[in-house]
Amino acid sequence: MQAQTKVMTRERSQWRLLGSFLGSMRLAVSLLVLLAIASIIGTILSQQQPYSNYALQFGPFWFAVFRTLGLYDVYRTAWYTGIVAFLVLSTATCVTRNTPRMLRDIREFPLRQRENALRAQPQVVEMLAAEDPDDLTRRLAQTLRASGFRPRLLQEGDTQYLAARKGKYHRLGYFLTHIAIIVICAAALYNADVPVKWAELTGSLRPATDFDLPLSKIPPSAFMPVHNPAYRGIITLPEGQTADAVFELAGNGYLVQPLPFRIHLKAFHIQYYSTGMPKDFVSDVVLYSPQGKVLKEGAIRVNHPMSYDGVDIYQSSFSDGGSLLTMRSYLLGAADGHSAELQGRVGQTLHAGNSGYSLQLKNFELYNIVPRSAVGEPSDPRHPTVNLGPSFTYVVRDPQGGGAEMKTYMQPITRGGQGFFVQGYRRSLGDPYQYVYIPTGPAGSIHLFMAYLAALQKAAKEGANASPALFSAVFDRVAARAAPDWTSAQKERFVEASLQALAGLHDYPVPFVLTLSQFDHRWAAGLQVTKWPGTTLIYWGCVALVLGIFILFYLPQQKVWAQIQRRADGGSRLLLGAGADRNRLDFARQFARWRAALEAAGAQTISSRETHEEVHHGP
Amino acid sequence: MAHSPVESYVLPSSPEHRSWIALLRREAPWVGGLTLAALAILMRYGHDFGYWQYLVLASWYAGLLAAGIAWRPLQWATIAAVLPALFAVWLYSDGQTPADNLLLRYVLQGVAAVYWMSAALLAATALYIAYVVTAKATLGRLASALTWVGVIFGFIGLGVRWRETYLGHPDWGHIPVSNLWEVMVLFCASTALFWLYYEQRNRARGLGAFVMPLVGISVGFLLWLTLAQHMDRIEPLIPALQSFWMKLHVPMMFVGYANFTIASLVGLAYLLTQRSELRGGRLARTLPPLEVQDDVMYKAIALGFLFFTVATILGAVWAARAWGGFWSWDPKETWALIVWLNYAGYLHARVVKGWHGRSMAWWSFMSLWVVTFCFLGVNMFLSGLHSYGKL
Repeated sequence: MQAQTKVMTRERSQWRLLGSFLGSMRLAVSLLVLLAIASIIGTILSQQQPYSNYALQFGPFWFAVFRTLGLYDVYRTAWYTGIVAFLVLSTATCVTRNTPRMLRDIREFPLRQRENALRAQPQVVEMLAAEDPDDLTRRLAQTLRASGFRPRLLQEGDTQYLAARKGKYHRLGYFLTHIAIIVICAAALYNADVPVKWAELTGSLRPATDFDLPLSKIPPSAFMPVHNPAYRGIITLPEGQTADAVFELAGNGYLVQPLPFRIHLKAFHIQYYSTGMPKDFVSDVVLYSPQGKVLKEGAIRVNHPMSYDGVDIYQSSFSDGGSLLTMRSYLLGAADGHSAELQGRVGQTLHAGNSGYSLQLKNFELYNIVPRSAVGEPSDPRHPTVNLGPSFTYVVRDPQGGGAEMKTYMQPITRGGQGFFVQGYRRSLGDPYQYVYIPTGPAGSIHLFMAYLAALQKAAKEGANASPALFSAVFDRVAARAAPDWTSAQKERFVEASLQALAGLHDYPVPFVLTLSQFDHRWAAGLQVTKWPGTTLIYWGCVALVLGIFILFYLPQQKVWAQIQRRADGGSRLLLGAGADRNRLDFARQFARWRAALEAAGAQTISSRETHEEVHHGP
Repeated sequence: MAHSPVESYVLPSSPEHRSWIALLRREAPWVGGLTLAALAILMRYGHDFGYWQYLVLASWYAGLLAAGIAWRPLQWATIAAVLPALFAVWLYSDGQTPADNLLLRYVLQGVAAVYWMSAALLAATALYIAYVVTAKATLGRLASALTWVGVIFGFIGLGVRWRETYLGHPDWGHIPVSNLWEVMVLFCASTALFWLYYEQRNRARGLGAFVMPLVGISVGFLLWLTLAQHMDRIEPLIPALQSFWMKLHVPMMFVGYANFTIASLVGLAYLLTQRSELRGGRLARTLPPLEVQDDVMYKAIALGFLFFTVATILGAVWAARAWGGFWSWDPKETWALIVWLNYAGYLHARVVKGWHGRSMAWWSFMSLWVVTFCFLGVNMFLSGLHSYGKL
């Protein structure tokens, strides 16, 4: 029996030890600082990039080490969450342990203090006055009231006890802040969708890693339940199309979240400022029920999401949604500048006959208002930008396996009266674009130049020597058919521009030029879809946090006790003690003012004591 | 008290002790003026207010009201900044431009006022240092006065610029806290303003020789941004910034930054004063007592922490509206959390453990680097969603 008690005591004391460890301030401060330091990692290393990027950056060894440590998604690793959980546990322990004491502190305020306890207050003064005790009490009460206190009086025989306190609810600040932290963390955990994380951990949910699969081909093991309580997914939706699922990145792959409704993108548009800077991105969206009933219709803009049934839809990005491009292809050196028409959608890959060349249409941009320097133009402070109209980008692969990325602008630029078609190219993605400027002829077409080029090549093959006379003679022949009404000044300009373009074409990577003749533009909107039922709770937690901090800093608890006794000569003796639990320096000043007021009324200080706070120099 | 033999009672109070009535009577011009101003704004713009605009207006009203009552010089400063700014706005609406109005061109135009602010704050910095070196009270008073001039010009500049963003391009208009140049002006003016508050509250003028040099450096940076980077040009807002939350989030953030900055420089002053005390040096004679320095440090951190918390929460609410998640672990967000955790640790150590003195002064001083990195470093060295603060 006795042994059992002993064991229980030991167990209890072990629990108490654990409790006092978890609730200790030293642990809390250490955890706060540790969490701050751990948080730095994710800001230095950019998070949630494709693994291949990291492998390239760190090499195979460190890539593996960092992956094991979870550094590519630090804030979702077990160890980081562990620190947060530990902090929450520590906070909870602290709240639990301190609650009874603090509640008592709020509820109870003794009016009478024993003389020893009164003398142990941080601020103490003992005074003698000739006044009657009742007068002195009244004076003291008045002084305190002027400082916003509401003194209470207790008479006990010949002795009067006066007591007052301010900031009764100061301790509430402690509860509010600490409980707020627990609430916010708990709600964030709920938002983080714990069941799905658990399913991922046990393997019943497996992220798919092939980003090119159509929705119907994605394995069911990557599908989350429709009634998932919380999610945050993205979808890229071309204009005119409908989606009923979104994708959520998970590690190296993604998960599919089916939606309780279908999102149809009617149109996407961009509004611009006069500088060419985008002003707003707008998606016109209709939500349908799975049965096809219209649930909601409206515009989703940046900063103005759409909400339906607890699900929020945000405008998050945009891209080309498969615009139909009609292009004209000129083979360098083809007789008469012969050209052929080509058609394709952005995202498609075209094969140029059996030449072995393939064109992957990468992107289309409707507006290109760019700084002049971006296309190699001299700067002009009055017109800092130049409008190049729509552009499209494509990647060419030649039969030998080489490649280049080409960027073609639809609208020619004008220099000294001569129009130029602008063609950018680069051999590797990291390089800046280089540009060739091809002079345009009638109707802004490059046909004239191509015909001239072919004629020059033919002349060269026939053995003619390059000379200014030859260049203009050949051009006269070409222009007679293609631009019969040109003046000689126009011709001269064109020949000069052509010779420069010829020099520029030396480094040109492909044997053809594509121009854009028509387009049917189609956007795709990047929408983010979230469901976060814990958000409201988080906001209430935030309100409590702010309120609590305010109370803690600005409504300190201040307590005053006084003992007033009648002396034998009819005068009185006052013992005044007081203390505050914050802003002690301010309170000491206030106390000194009270004392001065009493002294001014004739009271005499016989002893006073001010306990300075102990100066700790930290750990 | 269970054994209380007699009943206790609350002493009756006479009417003149209803201190809040006395307070309202004393502050009638401020309360009345501010209320009238708020009503005028409501009459002028109220017809297209949404609930959030009421919220923004109410926050500014309550904040200015409380701050003006807590610290009366702010009332005069507000008037001194608002009247010239309104005058400039009236000049603009009268069709005048900086090109044909000398007052606008050299004084009241946003950029011109900022130059005046820069000059005043730089001169004030030099005077604060001279004051501590020579211990001449006149120099100190002049330093404070020039700081006031700088603060008032800074806020005139921001106010007038707010109007200027609308000129010529009504759809560009925005509160001028949207790029690095504008927030540097806000930082200089608000740090100097909060410094004046602590200085006057604690008779701590000498500490200005530590706080104001950082404001001086910020002014230098601001001038570099103006002259070399031409960042004083007004530009339209990117879509993500077009939100009323900006009017609350950014200014509150800068109340936090300003107070944290002051606290860390007072921390430095504390360390040097303590050293000087041991060696009988000059600093210990011209600077306020260590006890006061320690108190200023704590109070600045407390006020900064309150506002930083609110601003971070507002940022999260805004992020939830703009990006679809109130917390995305964007570098700026994460660094705000780091700053917050750092000061939460500081306050726990200070308030609950009662740590004081040297180690806390070191903590406060070292926090300057954390705060500066959060304010500037993140935008310069890391990429992320807050990239509009870039150079």
